[in-house]
Amino acid sequence: MSGTARIVENAVCLGCGCACDDITVVVDGGRITEARNACPLGLRWFGDGSLPGAVLGGRTTAIEDVVGEIADALRAARAPLVYLAPDLTSEAQRAAVAIADQLHAFVDGVTSATASAGILAAQRRGRAGATLGEIRNRADVLVFWAVDPVLSYPRFQSRYAPDPAGVHVPNGRADRTVIAVDVGSQRGPDDADVRIQMTAEEESLFVASLRGYLAGRTLGGGPILARVTELASRLTRAKYAVIVTDGESAPQAVELPAMRADSLIALTQSLNAPTRAALCTLRAGGNRNGADTVLTWQTGFPMAVDFSRGAPRYAPEDATLSRLARGAFDAVLLIGATSALPPSVAGALRGIRTIAIGPRASESAVDASIRIDTGVASIHESGMAFRTDDVPLPLRAVLPTPRDTASLLKALGAAIAAKGGAA
Amino acid sequence: MTQLRITGGAIHDPANGIDGDVRDICIDDGRIVASLPGDAPVLRADGMVVMAGGIDMHAHVASASVTLGRRLLPEEHTLDPVRAPALEDGTIPRSGSGGTVPSTFTTGYRYAGLGYTTVFDAAVAPASARQTHAEFDDTPIIDGGFFALLGNDQYLHRQIAANEIRRARDYAAWVLESTGGYAIKIVNPGGIELWKRNVREVKTLDDPVGTSNVTPRRILEVLADASIELGLPHPTHIHCNNLGVAGNSAMTLDTMRALEGRRAHFTHLQFHSYGGERGKSWSSAARQIVEYVNGHPEITGDVGQVMFGDATTLTADGAVEYLLHMSTGKKWINADVELETGCGIVPYSYREKAAISSLQWVIGLELFLLSADPWRMVLSTDHPNGGSFMSYPDLIRLLMDRAYRDEKLKGVNQKMLAGSALADGITREYTLNEIAIITRAGPARQLGLPHKGHLGAGADADITIYSRDADYAKMFSTPRYVLKAGTLVVEEGQLRRAPSGKRIFVQPGYDDALLRDLGKYFEAYSSVQLANYPVTGLRDTPVPTGAG
Repeated sequence: MSGTARIVENAVCLGCGCACDDITVVVDGGRITEARNACPLGLRWFGDGSLPGAVLGGRTTAIEDVVGEIADALRAARAPLVYLAPDLTSEAQRAAVAIADQLHAFVDGVTSATASAGILAAQRRGRAGATLGEIRNRADVLVFWAVDPVLSYPRFQSRYAPDPAGVHVPNGRADRTVIAVDVGSQRGPDDADVRIQMTAEEESLFVASLRGYLAGRTLGGGPILARVTELASRLTRAKYAVIVTDGESAPQAVELPAMRADSLIALTQSLNAPTRAALCTLRAGGNRNGADTVLTWQTGFPMAVDFSRGAPRYAPEDATLSRLARGAFDAVLLIGATSALPPSVAGALRGIRTIAIGPRASESAVDASIRIDTGVASIHESGMAFRTDDVPLPLRAVLPTPRDTASLLKALGAAIAAKGGAA
Repeated sequence: MTQLRITGGAIHDPANGIDGDVRDICIDDGRIVASLPGDAPVLRADGMVVMAGGIDMHAHVASASVTLGRRLLPEEHTLDPVRAPALEDGTIPRSGSGGTVPSTFTTGYRYAGLGYTTVFDAAVAPASARQTHAEFDDTPIIDGGFFALLGNDQYLHRQIAANEIRRARDYAAWVLESTGGYAIKIVNPGGIELWKRNVREVKTLDDPVGTSNVTPRRILEVLADASIELGLPHPTHIHCNNLGVAGNSAMTLDTMRALEGRRAHFTHLQFHSYGGERGKSWSSAARQIVEYVNGHPEITGDVGQVMFGDATTLTADGAVEYLLHMSTGKKWINADVELETGCGIVPYSYREKAAISSLQWVIGLELFLLSADPWRMVLSTDHPNGGSFMSYPDLIRLLMDRAYRDEKLKGVNQKMLAGSALADGITREYTLNEIAIITRAGPARQLGLPHKGHLGAGADADITIYSRDADYAKMFSTPRYVLKAGTLVVEEGQLRRAPSGKRIFVQPGYDDALLRDLGKYFEAYSSVQLANYPVTGLRDTPVPTGAG
C-alpha cells in the first residue's frame, strides 16, 4: 500500500444478488488493490476498477453532440428497444425507463430472459417470503432446493444462513437443520444434515405429493412416499422453515423446470398453515432486482413493458428474445454492462442499429454503432441498488466514473423532449 | 407565475373560521399572502368553491410493500393503462397504469386531479425507507411523507424488556432521523412478531411478546410517550391488534383506554369497530368506538371507509392477510422484514351482496355520521385497503347527500345490519365546511402541519377550486383548478403542470450514546451495516420538533 491509498468501508458488492455491504475496498493509485470480505465472485466483479472512458461512433466525440445524435436516432426509430443490462444504479434504471416511455419503446431487462418463471409464478400466486436478515435470525430449517449457493452466491451461507447466529438461533449452524434437495444433477450443499434425492422427472410428482401430504392427503404409496414423509415432517416441525431456490437460469444456463417456481411458491404458502415458512429466491448480481422494482413502480409491470401505444402494456410472453428473433426492433438503446448480457440476447442484437451506454461499452463485443463508456454501479457510480430480497442499499462510488450513467440518461431524455418526444 | 389573486369564489376555510364567504385569496411565491398589488394576475372563481388542497393522512402509495402489491396485480394494470398527460411546464409527462395500486406517476397525477396535494404513506419498513423516498421522487405534484413502522421492532422490544425506556425513545428518534420519516407507526403491536413465531392471535394487551416484560400495552405506552417527549408534530399512529376480526372493538377500546390522557391517533377505525364474536357473529360497534373518541379530545382517528368495488388489502399486519387468503382463496403475498415488521397483500372486492362487506361499509359511515368532532375523525379509505383514493368523491357524496346514502343502503346486504345506527336512520348530512375539515383542515391539524390545510396568510398555496354541482361525487371528482405551491397544476379540469412535490419529515435528534449499543446489535443480527442504514441526501427542510 502506498501513501496515497484510500480505504472505503461498507462498500456494496453487486457480484451476485446477496449484495454484501460489508466490503472494505482499498484504492491505491486509482486502482482497487483489495476488496476485503469479498468472495472470489466478488473479487472478480470489483476487479481493479479500471475502465475506459471513450465516446465512439458519433460524428464527434463531444458528449453533448453525441447525445443529440442518439436522440435523433432513437426518435427516428419505428420500434426501439431500451434494454437494461446489469450493473446500473436504480437512478440510472429510472432514467432509462423514462426514455422508453418518451420514445413509446419496448423496455426490458435481463429478468425476462433469465428469471421470468419465478416472477410470473409470483404474479399468479403471490408468495410467502422473507428478507435475508429475517432468514438469518429465524430460520431453523433450511432447505436448499436444487441449489448450492457456493457456486453462484458464495457468501449466502456464511453471511445469511445457515452459519451465522441469529436472535432465534443463537448457536448459528448448530441450531439449524440444513436439508439438501438434489434434483438430478442440481445438487444442494455438500454439508447438509439431510439429503433428499430425486430425479428431474420425479420432481413434479414429489412436490405435488408433498403438498398433498401437508393437506392431509396421501397420494398412493410408491417409491417417493418415504422421502415425501421425511421432508414434510421436518418442515412442519420447523419453527420457521425457509426454502432456498435459484431464480436464475443463467449464468450456468441451467434449465429451470417451469413448474418449479410455481410449485415451490404453493408449497411454501401452504406450509404457513402448520408453521411459518418463507421461500427465498436467489437472483444474480448487478442490481437485477432493481430493474424489476423500478419498472414495477413506474409502469406497474416488472419486465417486458411495451409503451408503443403510449401507455405500458405487459408482454411477458413476448419479451425481448422473441421480439428480437422476429426482427421487431429497428434500434436498440443498450444500457449497462454488455459483458453481463445473456448470450442469447447479445447474439440476437447483431444487425440492429445499437447504441451502447455502459461500462466498457467501447470494448464490447456487441456490434454497437455508438458506444459511450460509463461506470459500474457501486464501484464508480453512487445511488441505490436492491438485494435479491428487494432490500434497497446505498451505493457510494469508490472510484470516479468516466461519466455518470443516470446523468447522461437524463440529458438524453431532455434532448429527446427538446426535439418533441417520439417522432 | 409567482403572484395570483383568486377572486369570486366561496371560501371554505374552517381553520380560519370562514364558511363560504366570498373573498379574494392572494398568492405570492408559492404561499398565501394577505394582499397583492392591484395589478396582480387574477383567476376568476365566480360561483365556485375554494378549499385548501386535500390531505390524505393515511394511504399506501410509496413503499416496498406497495410495489410488491403493484407487482402482484398485472391484470389490474392491464385493464387500466394510463397515457401520459399533455403537460405545459416542460416536465416530461409519464404514462403509467391505474387500478387499485397505480404506478407512481399515475398516483401523483390522479391525486392532483382530485385536488389532493399532500399524501402520507402510512406504513414504511425502516429498512426500505430509501425506496419510499425514490418512489416519492417519482410521484409528482404531491408533497409526501411517511410513518415508520416501530411496533414490532426487535431492538425496541429489547429496550422495553430491559426497561431502557430512554434508549427506546432515542431509538425511535434515530429511526425517524435515519429514514426521513415523519411519525411513529404501530401496526398490531407485538402481533407481527408473534405471527413470525407462529402465534396467530393477540388475545389481550397483556399477552407476552417473547417475554412478559414486552406486551402490546407496553409497546403502545412506550411509543406513545416517545412521540410526546420528542415533540413530534403527529402523535403515534396506531393500527390496533386484531384488525378485521369480529368482536375486535373490545381490543380497540382497551387500547384507547390504555393510552388515556395521551395524544394518539387511531387509524382506519372502521376495521377495528366490530362487535360480535370471533368466528361466530358480526355486528357494528361503531357507536361505542365513536362515543369514546367523542369523549376524549386527546385522541384522533381516521375512518378507513370501505367502498364497494375492487380493493387491495396491503398491510404490515401479515397475520390478518393470511386469514384473508385462506378465507377467500385469493393470491397472497407475505413478506417478513428483518426483525422490524412484516407485510401481507391480498386482492379483495367489497360487494353490496356480501354481508360482511355491507356491514363494514355501514360501520365506516356510522363513524363519520356519529362523530361529534370532524376535526378528530377524518376521511380515509386506508387506500387501497378499503378502496382506492379515487373513490373519495363518492364517499363525500355519501356523507353530504342523505337521499343518495339511503338509496344505497337499501341495496346492500341487510343480514348483519340489525341494530346498527345507520339502519335505524341517521339524518346528518355533512356541510361543505365539514368536508373541508375531514379532507384538509383536520388532517393538517392532526399531522401538526401549520402551513397546510388552510387558506390564511402564510399557508402553502395548495388550493383546490370546484365548480358547484348537485352531484357532489361529480363536483369533487373533477376540480376546475388545482394549485400546488402556487403553480396551477389543473386548469379547466385538465392536468397541465406537474412540479415535484416536497418531502415532509422530521429530524428529532437523539442521544449519541445509543449508537454504541445499536452498533453491537447491528453487528450481531443485522444483514445491513449500520453505516449503510440511514438515508442520506434528503432535500427540503425538516418540520420542527420539540415540546415548544
